[in-house]
Amino acid sequence: MAQPAQSAKKRKIKGDGVWGYAFIAVALIVYAMFTAYPVLSAFIISFQEYKPLGSTYIGFDNYTATLKDDLFWKSIKNTLVYTVLTVPVALLLSFLVAIMILPLRKKLQAVFKAVYYLPVVASGVALSLVWLWIFDPMPGGIFNQFIGWFGAHNQNWLGASATAMFSLVIMAWLSSHGASIIIYLAALLGIDDSYYEAADLDGASFLQKLWHIVIPSLKPTTLFLLVTAVIGSFQVFQNAYLMTGGGPDHATTMVGLLIFDNAFKYFEFGKAAAQSLILALIIALVSLFQFKFLGKDVDY
Amino acid sequence: MMNKGKALSLMLAATLSVSALTACGGNNNNNGAASPAASGSSAAASGSADAGAKDTITALLPPVSPTYQDNFDQMEKDFNAQYPNLTLKIEPASWEDMTQKLDTQVNAGSPPDIAFIGSDGIAKYVQQGMALDLTDVATSEMTGDYDATPLEYMKNGSGLYGFPAYMEVHALGGNKQFLEEAGIDWKKVQKDGWTYEEFREAIKKGVVKNGDATSRYGFVFATAGVASKDYLGIMAKSAGMPAAFNEDMKYAYTSKNYLELLTDLRQLIDDGSMPKELSSVDAGKRWNMFLTGQTMITGKGLATFENSAKKNNEKIDAKDGSAVKDSIKVDYIVLPVPTFAGALPISYTVVDGYVAFRGKKEPTAEHKANIAKAAYFLSSGKVAATTNNDLFAAHITKSARDAAASMPMERDPNNQAAVQTMLSHAAPARPDIPAELGAKAIKIENEVIIPKMQALLANEIKPQEMYDAVKKAAIAAFGEDGIVQD
Amino acid sequence: MSLYNNHTGSRAGKTARNAVIVVLLLLFALATLFPIYFMVMSSFGDPVEAGAVSYSLWPSSFTLDSYKFFFDYSEYSYRWILNSTIVAGAVTITNVFFATMAGYAFSKLRFKGRGLLFSILLAAMMIPYQVTQVPLYILIVNTFQIENSYSALILPGLVTVYNIFLAKQFMSSIPTEIMESAKVEGCSQLQIFFRIIMPLSKTVMAVIAILTFMDSWNTFFWPFLVTNTMDMQTIQVGLKNFRFANTTYFSPMMAGATISAVPMFILFFSLQRYFLEGVTVGAVKG
Repeated sequence: MAQPAQSAKKRKIKGDGVWGYAFIAVALIVYAMFTAYPVLSAFIISFQEYKPLGSTYIGFDNYTATLKDDLFWKSIKNTLVYTVLTVPVALLLSFLVAIMILPLRKKLQAVFKAVYYLPVVASGVALSLVWLWIFDPMPGGIFNQFIGWFGAHNQNWLGASATAMFSLVIMAWLSSHGASIIIYLAALLGIDDSYYEAADLDGASFLQKLWHIVIPSLKPTTLFLLVTAVIGSFQVFQNAYLMTGGGPDHATTMVGLLIFDNAFKYFEFGKAAAQSLILALIIALVSLFQFKFLGKDVDY
Repeated sequence: MMNKGKALSLMLAATLSVSALTACGGNNNNNGAASPAASGSSAAASGSADAGAKDTITALLPPVSPTYQDNFDQMEKDFNAQYPNLTLKIEPASWEDMTQKLDTQVNAGSPPDIAFIGSDGIAKYVQQGMALDLTDVATSEMTGDYDATPLEYMKNGSGLYGFPAYMEVHALGGNKQFLEEAGIDWKKVQKDGWTYEEFREAIKKGVVKNGDATSRYGFVFATAGVASKDYLGIMAKSAGMPAAFNEDMKYAYTSKNYLELLTDLRQLIDDGSMPKELSSVDAGKRWNMFLTGQTMITGKGLATFENSAKKNNEKIDAKDGSAVKDSIKVDYIVLPVPTFAGALPISYTVVDGYVAFRGKKEPTAEHKANIAKAAYFLSSGKVAATTNNDLFAAHITKSARDAAASMPMERDPNNQAAVQTMLSHAAPARPDIPAELGAKAIKIENEVIIPKMQALLANEIKPQEMYDAVKKAAIAAFGEDGIVQD
Repeated sequence: MSLYNNHTGSRAGKTARNAVIVVLLLLFALATLFPIYFMVMSSFGDPVEAGAVSYSLWPSSFTLDSYKFFFDYSEYSYRWILNSTIVAGAVTITNVFFATMAGYAFSKLRFKGRGLLFSILLAAMMIPYQVTQVPLYILIVNTFQIENSYSALILPGLVTVYNIFLAKQFMSSIPTEIMESAKVEGCSQLQIFFRIIMPLSKTVMAVIAILTFMDSWNTFFWPFLVTNTMDMQTIQVGLKNFRFANTTYFSPMMAGATISAVPMFILFFSLQRYFLEGVTVGAVKG
């Protein structure tokens, strides 16, 4: 993160240090109280065997136990697979939809934006009931009817190790792109027309404009969406929690679900805290990599 | 523009000062997590010890029955009328989120005084030191009101941690017409039970095939997700393993009976008597299958299902389109679970109740006595009578039976008798299992048994593989000497 | 928009292109909308238990009974919607304002420790919320003792790192020269922010508003933890009351979910024009 800040430094306004602090003051105070303090507590708890009536310090036991735990690594692997399968596809779909909405008349634009935004507004719990029906294992299930048209046998979507993860991935592909589509659209509309005008004068094609103007201009947005989506995906637990409970045979146990279980099912709060911090470290490394890789030529 | 700007800066200033104030508050009490800070019940706990002093008891309650939460106001009022100095403050919570909320409050050191939970959860809180022993404040008048067996479930070691609300048998339910068509003497089964072999043959006869596809199964049990625990748990009782530990405190699920049970359960699917997609059939799905005639027997079965089936029959008669789509009229027959490996029939009973908790601060004797009063009030007399009738659950206190005498109930006498028979060989409570062992067993259940059971039902592993995995985990947790080896 | 070459090619070609686009968009929309369709359709069914759901694609009966059931079920049904509106409204206003401010500072102002501070903020996003939930609960309930109040619901969400990050990324595309010339003309930083940056950032502010409102409106776990009485519950917590031990009132729950989606839709449409306009920097520059 420091990298782009460094390279952009010379373009910043000078002598506004005090204003800088004033502008971030509220954010910092809120952050310190409601984020930093709990994180710090969690950090301390990670070295304890947590008991509400008095925890005992046990050094690095929680960490060593986690690193030796096969289930932890399996859940990390599951999370990685899920992230790799969902995040790039979701970003690409959002980008394509945003680009496709752009040339339409305003009325149509409004309709499509609303249509794609709609799935985001409905509560996850209510929708999970619908998804359970879509993945119904009997021949009457929606998805099984669908593949039945192509002559395939009905599948035990969520109940079999081979298809459970894939089912969750499909669910991610087909739902909730609303936020990224809106963000992409807003960014697309923010691109200065003069760039296109100049390109038109040079006789640039649609694809050339897309490649030389749109994609570079959207880089900060893409970086934002990618980083936040990866973070979100690494912490994902609701889908697995509501749809499969992590099963069958831990095929869909995400690390977020494992941490949740340790914290709220087994009362092993210290272990949950240690696992979260290990996870945070992994996410931080992945994010840093993304910033380095994508952020280096972002124009600030 | 300027006005807008001014307003915004004002707002900013206001927010800043508010935040600064709260920040100070935070600094003063920052070590609250580690010190005996105020707990949820502090207001009550710090009240004076005078007899009849004002006190508030908090209770975290789920929607136990469909009408239960509607009665909260009335319960609070009635309690206050009975004990004018006491106030009962009820916090509602939904069933599935209840544990999470309670666990967060417990972890934060500020649980409610009373929470409605399953008796199998008590050990966990005892181990944490957060469950409150009511032994010395529960009067004999209170404890004498309960049937002995359910009250036993609320104990752990020598402590009594609350009062039971009901004791329910988890059994199976059959479609009367289909049972008779298959030539099954259900009245005899209700009375004498059945063995696995008899059950296997019976459900084979229940299968109806339409060409290659099965249009009706013999038996469907809800096993999706965590429900697979129910399936195995209910069956294991009648396979010679009434609890996770035997009398000598050895882990029971490593016995050869367990392997036989797993083999049998797999066989029922391979026979075609149960759907091969069983591993993702959830509670709603199998009930739908039962009402639409897609299965002869279903599980788990609760007493209240008789009522649900009856209501749907009435809707079919009314022909107003409100009945379950494609459903047929069903007479619900309560059936016992078969016995495995020649074991005795032991019914799976569930006792839920009002469990008492303490905060970081030790509660005063006065407050403890008040908690007992509130827990007793909720689990006996009119409150219990109304709730249990709503659930079709048997009453377990004398006072509730008296109160219920005037409330009419329409139940099938055969079913009622069958439930009584099963209750007569209910699994005994096991307060003697140390909390620590219990916690380890629960962990094995969650981390090994449930996932492997899902895989077994999905036909991804063999019974032997699952048995080996459970045994391996059990040896790791309890040692070679801590498990049953036969 | 001139990404597409509107002036080249014939009118028919343009129509054909748009038709293809509309078909593609419709197909994808169909797939993503299906769960919603089912939710809304089921809400017009009878208020029956989940096991009784027919799972048919077309409604067998049309009735508003489930909506009636939803509002009759609890005397607090309206109150839940009001609470959610208050909480989400407050959180949205503070986020739009403070996140824009902080985003501006992080992207355009130079001060010591800027990069480091931003990194620290971002790092917090990487800690799963499950673990911070209990310490946060201890802070709000045991230390501040403000459980079951609007403060408890609003304070932790006053401004989120996500929004600051979003604002920062958007503002990086505003040319720094604008601010420099404003400074030369003697504007103070406050004036620059309110008169130049905020008007230029309408789009991202609208985006933040929508996303924050939606997020706050849909949050379940935190309001569930810190509310003790039905009159302080939010709509998402209230909705869960329709799930019982062995049954779920399916249609009323779907009716509730449908009702709870409406305010977000209203907000979406009222902010829609800000996306459509898309503030163009060039226009202001001239």
